[in-house]
Amino acid sequence: MAVMRMGYVHARVTDLAEAKHHYANTLGLYETLATDGKIFFKGWDEWDHHSVVLEEGGVGVVKYGFKVEYESDIDLIEKRAREFGLTVERMSAGENPEVSDGIRFTAPSEHIFEVYHAQTVIGTEVGTHNPEAFPRHLVGVGVPALDHSLILAEDVRTMENMFKHVFDFFPTERVQTDLEDDDAHYIATWMTSNNQIHQIAVLEGPQGKLHHFAFKLQDWTEIGRAADIMTMDDVPIDIGPTRHGITRGQTIYFFDPSGNRNEVFAGGYPAYRDRPINKWTPDQIAKGIFYHAREINERFTTVST
Amino acid sequence: MPIVTIHPTGEVIYLEPDETVLSGLYKAGYAYTIGCRRGGCAICKVDCHEGSFTYNRPVADSVITAEESSDGTCLSCRAVPDSDITIELRGENVRLVNPFLRQLNDKARQRAEQYAASTAAAQGVTASARTSPTTSPS
Ligand code: FES
Ligand SMILES: [Fe+2]
Repeated sequence: MAVMRMGYVHARVTDLAEAKHHYANTLGLYETLATDGKIFFKGWDEWDHHSVVLEEGGVGVVKYGFKVEYESDIDLIEKRAREFGLTVERMSAGENPEVSDGIRFTAPSEHIFEVYHAQTVIGTEVGTHNPEAFPRHLVGVGVPALDHSLILAEDVRTMENMFKHVFDFFPTERVQTDLEDDDAHYIATWMTSNNQIHQIAVLEGPQGKLHHFAFKLQDWTEIGRAADIMTMDDVPIDIGPTRHGITRGQTIYFFDPSGNRNEVFAGGYPAYRDRPINKWTPDQIAKGIFYHAREINERFTTVST
Repeated sequence: MPIVTIHPTGEVIYLEPDETVLSGLYKAGYAYTIGCRRGGCAICKVDCHEGSFTYNRPVADSVITAEESSDGTCLSCRAVPDSDITIELRGENVRLVNPFLRQLNDKARQRAEQYAASTAAAQGVTASARTSPTTSPS
């Protein structure tokens, strides 16, 4: 069985027109569908129909979709979710536009996760036949793809156990009160199913909350250019450009026009199942989060949607 | 041209028309606890003791509850004063981080007050009556 990636994030925004301006013109996502008070977007290097869904009304995250490789993976994940004690419901094809059938469950953190095996394939903006390196008329930052999300939960260890058991994820890094796992209280965990350093991270905090969702970039140069564009478009920057000690990724945290936190994230070393987990102790968490400032701004732990 | 007065420390800050409380305070050189600056995280709430304000965008129910919409809670990053208002921060005071901006704001406020006074005088209302209700018009 294989969860391949976090395929979509579905978020709430207070003003759809302003949100569209941010996600399309500042970040450079491509709109693929607008229906029923929702707008669907994809990045230029994504081939499936959408990776971001915005819905008008409120703030925060509605749900996440994780894509599996085979249709038969759905049954397996359903079985594992039930074993873990979760209530699972079936979703039918088309319940989410252009998304296959699958399952849906609410995690112990109160976040809703969907698992699906197919989306309508649109193709990347450069195609597959002798493709160019990138589309030459990218807009704004021109993010190629969705990358990961950080969510808040009261019980981080239970969430790690859930992602291990249900999705067969493994942790790559953790913040914990003791280096001995059995004695430790888990404050945060970073998890993945493949070489991507993290697809989801969980930080101790109020249930059901969104800390941020992130888009992929390549390197420092792209991160620096993204920050310039954010200034041009008056996007509130939370922190950065800087580096995370955890994952080693280069980053900017910023806010969308409804106050949802976004990130552009570059780099990060390759994850492997057999690589020993990097463990951070709470006294060094500031360096782990913001490697240069080595100070956590108060917003990191208090601001979420 | 609303004036924001901060209770109990007494700072007075001039706001441009349509400017939010948060934006006005930061432009006047002050800082306090804020987050997203876009109405989503709820961390910039202050209490409004006098005067009224209007939110310049829809605000999520999860950010301002029904009760908070009538108890004087003011989401400062989205609140545009309708008139002069008095606010109080929650558990902190504003910090003056840029005295130069403070000076500019003071000058702008004085200019605005002079202009308001002269307009009022032209309309047959004395400036003293406008700025101080206890002074009887002569
Ligand atoms: S700063 Fe986030 S709601 Fe005002
Ligand atoms: Fe992140």
